[in-house]
Amino acid sequence: RFSAVFIFSPKQAEVEETLKRIQTHKGVIGTIVVNAEGIPIRTTLDNSTTVQYAGLLHQLTMKARSTVRDLDPQNDLTFLRIRSKKHEIMVAPDKEYLLIVIQNPSE
Amino acid sequence: SPSLSTSLSVSHLTYLSRSPVCMCLPDYVCVSRRGLRLGMAKVTQVDFPPKQSVSYSKETQTPTCTQTHTQAKPAEEEEEEEEMAEPKPAEESQEEKADQEEKQEEVPPKELTEEEKMQLLHSEEFMAFFDRGSRIVERALSERVDVCFDYSGRDLEDKEGEMQAGAKMSLNRAFSDERWSKNRVVTCLDWSPQYPELLVASYNNNEDAPHEPDGVALVWNMKYKKTTPEYTFHCQSAVMSAAFARFHPNLVVGGTYSGQIVLWDNRSNKRTPVQRTPLSASAHTHPVYCVNVVGTQNAHNLISISTDGKMCSWSLDMLSQPQDSLELVFKQSKAVAVTSMAFPLGDVNNFVVGSEDGSVYTACRHGSKAGISDVFEGHHGPVTGLSCHSAGGPVDFSHLFISASFDWTVKLWTTKSTRPLYSFEDSCDYVYDVMWSPTHPALFACVDGSGRLDLWNLNNDTEVPSASVCVDGSPALNRVRWAHSGREIATGDSDGQVLVYDVGEQICVPKADEWTRLVHTLVEINENRDEGEELAAQRLVA
Repeated sequence: RFSAVFIFSPKQAEVEETLKRIQTHKGVIGTIVVNAEGIPIRTTLDNSTTVQYAGLLHQLTMKARSTVRDLDPQNDLTFLRIRSKKHEIMVAPDKEYLLIVIQNPSE
Repeated sequence: SPSLSTSLSVSHLTYLSRSPVCMCLPDYVCVSRRGLRLGMAKVTQVDFPPKQSVSYSKETQTPTCTQTHTQAKPAEEEEEEEEMAEPKPAEESQEEKADQEEKQEEVPPKELTEEEKMQLLHSEEFMAFFDRGSRIVERALSERVDVCFDYSGRDLEDKEGEMQAGAKMSLNRAFSDERWSKNRVVTCLDWSPQYPELLVASYNNNEDAPHEPDGVALVWNMKYKKTTPEYTFHCQSAVMSAAFARFHPNLVVGGTYSGQIVLWDNRSNKRTPVQRTPLSASAHTHPVYCVNVVGTQNAHNLISISTDGKMCSWSLDMLSQPQDSLELVFKQSKAVAVTSMAFPLGDVNNFVVGSEDGSVYTACRHGSKAGISDVFEGHHGPVTGLSCHSAGGPVDFSHLFISASFDWTVKLWTTKSTRPLYSFEDSCDYVYDVMWSPTHPALFACVDGSGRLDLWNLNNDTEVPSASVCVDGSPALNRVRWAHSGREIATGDSDGQVLVYDVGEQICVPKADEWTRLVHTLVEINENRDEGEELAAQRLVA
């Protein structure tokens, strides 16, 4: 089976380092990177949880963005933060991707 | 003669080849000139699919990201058009395309392969996105402000209610090892006398792994969050009982199914025993369910009893032969099949044993009457666990002991009487083990085959347990052991899991008057027992 070999550029190493830093930040339960179709491409959680979070948060982010743009077409969504009793979910959206981080703030 | 009309009415399904003249003539005329040549007609079938009603799944009509995406896929749509074999009018194909677009959105997006994911993660767009996104997320993560904090404390009230209800017993740790404890039954538990955070658990054989050693003993550590055992020991035969050797903090003693007593040392680098007793008639040849170190620092022995009633006493320095041995027989004939053993607090000579026949016996090690003394009958099934009262205090209750049995009950006894004082009948399954709290005089714990761990407080209620917890998945709980502090309780189940529960203060910490209250409770129990017996006797007479 042919497996691709990637040259690890310094920029890529930086991405890895940042991801690791976020993942090991105090209270962080999980980190997920999702593409524009809602498919997770990087995760620290188990498969079923990842798929659940990715699907639901992707839909919510789309709705949030469309809300912002409906209210003012020249505006756009920059950050989404959901504070619940148990966790805080942070979503940094983009045209192509979503970065989702789940944190337990009481830790 | 055949009518002309019938033969001509089926002409649209068949046609006659070659001679057009034949077509107009009736059949019988053609037959006489030459055979009719019939051939299959090429049937043109035209299928019109039912008209599909177009429905919209979006709530708003404003363009969103997903819609722009489907518009950006013209190439795929063209491909699909070509695949459609049936010829269609132009309008219908347009509608179908729209319907298929809808269907495409409803269908879950296809999975990406690992290579595709890696490609995305290495792309320029991703780097740019990640640079911005991670920056914001890291700032947000570091903000610890809780904007929802309520200074009135109203939101905490709900939490406290939950905490109160669950505060009786809460799961602290669950210990299990994928390789060494899975598929094995926890046969024994013991807390280290020297390091209160260490707990040794022994396991029997793993039927699914015949090449792995049959006997395993793992030392677990409560102090750290590490999920792997502190020490892993194994031996050739299933370990049925294990204990930390009191006065020898580096040694763990194990009694095995083959009758061998093994000794592991955590100073050696080996996982196998450093010493083993011989498999000979002078030692044990039957499974050893009870091992215990009794005595003082300067004068102590390892006591072991096997299921054939043989009791041996050993010196831990020399396991090649027992210092002393004794056959436990009742009335000079019946060997006692010992399943459990307990020494009262402070006693090195007198002890109690439980047997497979359902009876409990008192015995002593030395003296002219060495051996079985009295029989305590009451259980209807094999005795699985015994515990002598050990909570020292203003009043001495060391004559009390409790026994657990297959007959679904736990019975309370006193060495002063051969009839049980009380029978606790709240369980609906074999009760596998029982143990007095080391600190609270009226509290004991028992575990049964339905996954229940019950705490009974004699001063509160003798009919129902004061606290109870059912383990997730209801595995049969085989062993229960209070920690020396009396605040934690460990239980081992038939799936190889060791669970440690924290017991709420209101349950496990004794108040100053518990001892005097227990005196009164025992008086009541005694009176009830005598009354009960009188009534039973009267009924027999009448």
